[in-house]
Amino acid sequence: MKHPLSGAARTLRQAIVWRQINTARILSYVFSALSCTLLLSLSACGGGESNVVTGNRDGVLHYGNGTEPQGLDPHVVTGVPENHIIRALFEGLAVKNPITLEPEPGVAERWEFSDEGRVITFYLNSEAKWSNGEQVTASDYVWSWNRALHPMTGNEYSYMLFPVVNAEAYLKGEVTDFNDVGVKALDDTTLKVTLNAATPYFVQLMDHYSTFAVHPETLMQFGEMTDRYTPWTRVGNIVSNGAFTLTEWSLNRRIIVEKNEHYWDRDKVSLNSVIFYPMENVVSEERMFRVEQLHYTQVVPLDKIPLYRDMPDTPYVQAPYLGTYYYLINTQRPPVDDVRVRKALAMSVDREKLVRTVLQETAVPAYSITPPDTLGYYPPKLFDYDPAQARALLAEAGYPNGEGWPGLEILYNTNEGHRKIAVAIQQMWKSELGIDITITNQEWKVYLDSVTQIDFQVARRGWIGDYVDANNFLDLFITDGGNNNTHYSDPVYDDLILYKAPKAATREERYALFTEAETMLMEDMPIIPIYTYTSKHLIHPSVEGLHSNLMDSLNLKYVKLVPGRTLPETLR
Amino acid sequence: MNTVAPVFEDAEKGSSLWHDAWLRLRKNKLALLGGSVLLFMVVVALLTPWIAPYSYEAQNLDLGASAPSAAHWLGTDIFGRDMLTQIMYGGRISLAVGFIATAVALLIGVTWGAVAGYAGGRVDAVMMRLVDILYALPFMIFIVLLMVVFGRNILLLFLAIGAVEWLTMARIMRSQVQSLRQQEFVEAAVSVGLSPAAIIRKHLIPNALGPVIVYTTLTIPSVMLLEAFLSFLGLGIQPPATSWGLLISYGAETMEEYPWLLIFPGCALTLTLFSLNFLGDGLRDALDVRGSKD
Repeated sequence: MKHPLSGAARTLRQAIVWRQINTARILSYVFSALSCTLLLSLSACGGGESNVVTGNRDGVLHYGNGTEPQGLDPHVVTGVPENHIIRALFEGLAVKNPITLEPEPGVAERWEFSDEGRVITFYLNSEAKWSNGEQVTASDYVWSWNRALHPMTGNEYSYMLFPVVNAEAYLKGEVTDFNDVGVKALDDTTLKVTLNAATPYFVQLMDHYSTFAVHPETLMQFGEMTDRYTPWTRVGNIVSNGAFTLTEWSLNRRIIVEKNEHYWDRDKVSLNSVIFYPMENVVSEERMFRVEQLHYTQVVPLDKIPLYRDMPDTPYVQAPYLGTYYYLINTQRPPVDDVRVRKALAMSVDREKLVRTVLQETAVPAYSITPPDTLGYYPPKLFDYDPAQARALLAEAGYPNGEGWPGLEILYNTNEGHRKIAVAIQQMWKSELGIDITITNQEWKVYLDSVTQIDFQVARRGWIGDYVDANNFLDLFITDGGNNNTHYSDPVYDDLILYKAPKAATREERYALFTEAETMLMEDMPIIPIYTYTSKHLIHPSVEGLHSNLMDSLNLKYVKLVPGRTLPETLR
Repeated sequence: MNTVAPVFEDAEKGSSLWHDAWLRLRKNKLALLGGSVLLFMVVVALLTPWIAPYSYEAQNLDLGASAPSAAHWLGTDIFGRDMLTQIMYGGRISLAVGFIATAVALLIGVTWGAVAGYAGGRVDAVMMRLVDILYALPFMIFIVLLMVVFGRNILLLFLAIGAVEWLTMARIMRSQVQSLRQQEFVEAAVSVGLSPAAIIRKHLIPNALGPVIVYTTLTIPSVMLLEAFLSFLGLGIQPPATSWGLLISYGAETMEEYPWLLIFPGCALTLTLFSLNFLGDGLRDALDVRGSKD
């Protein structure tokens, strides 16, 4: 009960503040634009030392972090902004190397494979400590994985642990004793994990927050093991084992984490603290960066990218990214319950043009759910932009030239970028197929609810890889998968992804099975792939150690701040 | 009686309040200019579907945002849509929201305030406490609630905005009526047996119009901005339909790269607001019955 109430209070405050800001903003823009005092008023915003200057001196990183996190419970949340904070607070058994993405020691100092890769034994670092000084033990992991997999926890990422013996059965209630699940604490520092089959990417998964350990005693203080949204994640209550600890959480304002003095690898941590700012408005985020209020922005406004790209010594960094932007389709709601309609919609999106114009070359057109070159896997391209065939399919479905079309609504979460895509696609569908489309936006949490309950016709969705493997994209669409959200269900597909692919002997064989699954998916088209993401950030020159990689995976532990460096002349 | 009658025939010819007001307004050049500009805007808005140079939804993605040119006088937006057309269609919505919502507010507010002010006592207390209660309600939440309950519909949007904007109007009207009620001409009207409704209609409202008109000219722009905000939240107008408020808020996001996307809709809104202000000022002076009669 506490959560929805606090949510309402927050929305209220937000609405009021937004209105003020918005009205004031619009008015100020109108008048400043008219009187040409624009630049003056912008540069007058500063005053005193900027965040970047003080931050560089005190070792404080000012980090733009997208939206306000849903929560900080590793077994409950699902979003990307949450991921950044949780990975600063917690550490998994293994962590990704920020450059190569290969797993390297985290809580476990080493691990061994045995029984043809079916058994992994993790040897925990005895120096790995919780932020209250207690040792992180193997039994903490057993307890936490029990929580992550327990049907009552409702962890949407529980499938991350499905390679473990009986994990799935435990989630489904077929096995009720957690002792039957393939994870055992042999002693304080030895964790033995038995898998259904050799799973090449399993160690990678140890860097995903749903497999992180939480501190059992702390959670039990505030409720049962499986309770969601108890106050254990609040400042003062939370006990974590990462490079940082939580010291302030002001709703919609900022979240501050400070260096964890009990962290085993503390000597390598250079930052004293990191301040995460929820920045839903990408435009104001960019402005804050320009006036040196942020070291790092989560995104860059599309329209500003050409400007930044042409700049000498640009702070703009663009890198390929393991993520796909697509539209979910509710396969049970007319008119998109007809596969021909779904295909017609998919074929009449001119992705090349969209990427070239609206997205300013900051993305790659996508014709499949898996991004190309995911650790050597290239998905098949099974359809193309083909308005003639799309019209034929639509006519076949009973809507020749859009006659008799009952209407269709595209849902997206409030965001300028999503709006632009939706407006462009709306018009593409209208002009190619002659059908009327409405588009509607919802605030992030409301939108998440709608998507989870599959209460939409077409909804915008982005999926960011949790680990570098095609499996991570394809297993979204297994029957009743937590992030399926389309009612798509095919036992043959489930079998391919859950049983055949994990048992494949070689990489080639495995990738062939993935290709087969991907083909099935695109034949049924429960989603419309639109583009593959790239990561785009503005990074202040004083920041070192933020390497771009396919996962856009940052380990704040390696970040250093070098005072005295400033933004290029053109920006100031 | 017979001896008195001729004197009345020679007296100044009776003229109505509205006739006097028109005579005075005609002398106010600024107000006339404001009125003409507004009239022009309204006519353009009404004729837009026939005179707009381009389709408002057809995109030309390859053209993208282009600066004003011979083909597109006010440039194009990032989807390559003609800005002039966008502004013309946006004006239809903005003017309609501005006028209809304000008319709703005016109607409810003036009636409510006048009745409360004239009746006084317990009726006044109850009516004004109701206004206080509605004031205390965060009006944004109230509108959002109305929109959620009644669904998204442009006409309802007008009504919903009007339904929350009448509160201040009611207060202004009530205070005006309260002070007027004590004056001799009202007492005279009561003594000749005019009904309260007639007194309110014939004497109180015309006398209180000055401040109400000024406030009305302020309400129209704030309503237009409110609509933009609601649309931003996903509760108002949805693309490809547009309004000035929305055009400005989108334009503001890209004002450095494509300033024309902000400047032109900004100009349209500003021009309308100035015109409204001049006209409102003129009307207030013209309708001020206590002003000197020349």
